[in-house]
Amino acid sequence: MFIRTLAIAACIVATIAAAASAEDATVVLSSYGIAQPQYGKDLYSPFEAQCGCKVVVDTGNSAARLAKLEAYKDNPDTDVAALSDASAAQAAKEGLIEPIDVGALSNFPKLYQIAQDPVGGHFAVGYTFYATSIVYRTDKMPPVTSWQVLWSPTLNKRIALPDITTTQGVPVAYMANLTFNGTMPDMKVGIAKVTALKDSAVTYYPSSAVATQLFQQDEIWAAPVGRFDWPNLKKLDVPLAWSMPQEGQSGGMNVLVLVKGAKHKALAMKLIDAWLSTEVQTALASDLVDSPANSEVKLAPAAAEILVYGPEAVKSLHLVPPDVVLANRAAWVADWNAGMAH
Amino acid sequence: MRAIGRIVLGVAFLFLIGPFAVIVAAAFHGGDTLTFPPNHLSMRWIMEVLANRNFQTSFVLSIVLAIAATLAALALGVPAAYALVRYRPRGAGAIRGLLGSPVVVSGLVVGLALLHYVVVPLDLPVTIALFVAHTAILLPYAVRVVSASLVNLRVDIEEAAVLLGASRLTAFRLIVLPNIRNGLLAAFVLGFITSFNEVPASLFLTGPGIRTLPIEMMLSMELVYDPSIAALSTLLTLGTLIMVLASERLLGLSRYV
Amino acid sequence: MFGRSHAPAALVAPASLYVAAAFLLPVAILIAGTILPGGKLSAAGYVRFFADPLSLEVVWRTVRIGIVVTIVCIVLGYAMALAIVDAGTKARGQLIGLTILPLMISPVARTYAWVVILGRVGLFNNLIVGLGLTQQPFRLLFSEGAVYVGLVQLFLPIMVLPLVSALENLPADVVAAARTLGADWFTVFRRLLLPLTREGLVIGGTLVFNGAVTAYVTPAVLGGTRNLSLATLLYQQVAVTDDLLAAGVVATILIAMSVTASVLLRRVSTSRDRALTRAR
Repeated sequence: MFIRTLAIAACIVATIAAAASAEDATVVLSSYGIAQPQYGKDLYSPFEAQCGCKVVVDTGNSAARLAKLEAYKDNPDTDVAALSDASAAQAAKEGLIEPIDVGALSNFPKLYQIAQDPVGGHFAVGYTFYATSIVYRTDKMPPVTSWQVLWSPTLNKRIALPDITTTQGVPVAYMANLTFNGTMPDMKVGIAKVTALKDSAVTYYPSSAVATQLFQQDEIWAAPVGRFDWPNLKKLDVPLAWSMPQEGQSGGMNVLVLVKGAKHKALAMKLIDAWLSTEVQTALASDLVDSPANSEVKLAPAAAEILVYGPEAVKSLHLVPPDVVLANRAAWVADWNAGMAH
Repeated sequence: MRAIGRIVLGVAFLFLIGPFAVIVAAAFHGGDTLTFPPNHLSMRWIMEVLANRNFQTSFVLSIVLAIAATLAALALGVPAAYALVRYRPRGAGAIRGLLGSPVVVSGLVVGLALLHYVVVPLDLPVTIALFVAHTAILLPYAVRVVSASLVNLRVDIEEAAVLLGASRLTAFRLIVLPNIRNGLLAAFVLGFITSFNEVPASLFLTGPGIRTLPIEMMLSMELVYDPSIAALSTLLTLGTLIMVLASERLLGLSRYV
Repeated sequence: MFGRSHAPAALVAPASLYVAAAFLLPVAILIAGTILPGGKLSAAGYVRFFADPLSLEVVWRTVRIGIVVTIVCIVLGYAMALAIVDAGTKARGQLIGLTILPLMISPVARTYAWVVILGRVGLFNNLIVGLGLTQQPFRLLFSEGAVYVGLVQLFLPIMVLPLVSALENLPADVVAAARTLGADWFTVFRRLLLPLTREGLVIGGTLVFNGAVTAYVTPAVLGGTRNLSLATLLYQQVAVTDDLLAAGVVATILIAMSVTASVLLRRVSTSRDRALTRAR
């Protein structure tokens, strides 16, 4: 009994020691959970082979990971994070991230202009854009031409919407605001309209992947999602289409940031550079994971049609600037909570 | 009367255990998406789950954690149970209350409190916090099960040993321990399973690359819509079943719960 | 021989100190933090919480879930316990083992099974549509009802076990004697079984209520974001807003609920039955 206890204790210590020693050649990334296998193939594995290090990934939605950065502010356990531009702006304001030395990034000049300094102060670099629009079941309804379809009684209890705190939350509220002639930056009309659907929506999804699942399980027939989810949605065995409503599409940009006090800063910078490289961006785009922010990426027409490709496509989106989000987020969340109560 | 009883039990166990049959069936579906009933059978998802690196890492963490926390809980709990049962000291009720308190408080609160007041300020690795939390959660079970088996052990055998010259410690080692062996093993099995399946406390105590298996499963559930979770659930259920049936057969586990 | 000694203190000390330091202390600091934000005594956190209509809704829903699940478990549990005790000593052991079994299986797996069964294209809906009972499948998931079903399945065994224990401890011929004296089954139940198994009911009821109120996995997976309970609200607040004060308030209310329930339910069990059950 005693010997056995000792043996087990020794195993535990060895495991912890092994984990600790692996830390030296490690870079810790906080990223979205979606498409991790493809990221493994297109980014992590090639990078690990090149640097002889290990990439450890922590996943979750943007808001949750931002909260984690806040919690670990004084002792960060993360080096690099992929966040929405709005979350990055907030992280910069709270002093959680440090400016990136863009001169040290060999692939920086290849980025589209708007991706080079999306939140100011070089706190972030954009790595992908996406559009946000409504995905719907073609066999259950006529083609969707307007955002108003979400409020149609025929879709009662057949839709899902993003929670205001998620990356898609603001773009969707923004489009609701636009559709029903609300004003900015208060966005009160938009938020009121979205929360008015609380009994009609099956759920307010915490991440786009949940929306995918709801489509698959036939729980919903329509939902606004980000374009990065479209490749997964196409694979489902229910007939879906991406709509182009008359009011337009919203969307966003996802960015990479450097955590302040990161323990593996050099490796972190290398990872960012690799992520922005033409090879990686092309691979991710060809696998239909992310639209490229690297202007030198050339895509086959099939991929180009699915992704948001090229500066013109980006310009056509109704994007909410990160600084507007930053200034008004608290008020929006308060209005949202008030609207959600019965 | 017996007939009604049989019907009641039949329906009740269908409700309690039927869902597992569903999960097991869904796990063997060969297609890409979660379908029930499965329309063609295959081991595909079982194999994929076994090869998944994230699940493997979480599985190892959960196993190591469960063993460590259960041993720690027993190390603390066995002497405490012994003292409470044999000595019946003043304030035994209060002590029992103290040792049983982790059951009343949700694991969420424990995890949250440990994260903000221990892990972050002291820069402690999350694994240590997990160990601390799980040990605290298992302690009430350890004390209760060991107390139950001590109560059934007759005092006079111990007394006889001491009278014949053995020290209290020797008497404990040679007389008490072997006789409560089944109780100890039952406590170990119970503690192990409780720690392995634990969710609330482990929810906040995660870090890059550090996630217990149930948490990994829950997060996976949000991301995937294929039978892999069903496959993983099936494997875990099978493992648990084997453990429990073996314990019941060898130790009479149900007597201690 | 086991009389006065310093040994007991030394033996319980490690466990007691551990629980106090590793568990009670951080939780106490968390609770204290809710009335001492920034070091000054203030109820601002609680005012903010109770002023938010969404919070009140969540509190009532949590209490509702606790009560409904407990009552359903008591009714079903009593029926099961009676049936088990009635089944004879040999079958009893196996039935108890069968009852314990679901408790051992991961709550994540158990809840996921309900996702498969209650989903729109899940087993239940396929069955009733296939049998022609209804045209359209029902929306069952992401509802409070689904949470009830999941929680009852989770906690029913916990209710059954103490009841079986209590029923087993009844003096063997008491029921037969009452029947001989002319009591019908209802009277036997009301005047005899119920009072004598009160302690078992209290133990089971407390465990089930506490469990239902503090449960996380089931409300999270089966209830969705529109049916938040205190536990899922707590997780959301910590994970999304990192507002320690707000999270602490929710945590404190959760603890207060459990403690209140335990205390109230213990009052129900009186010393009268303790004397009776001790006479084994």
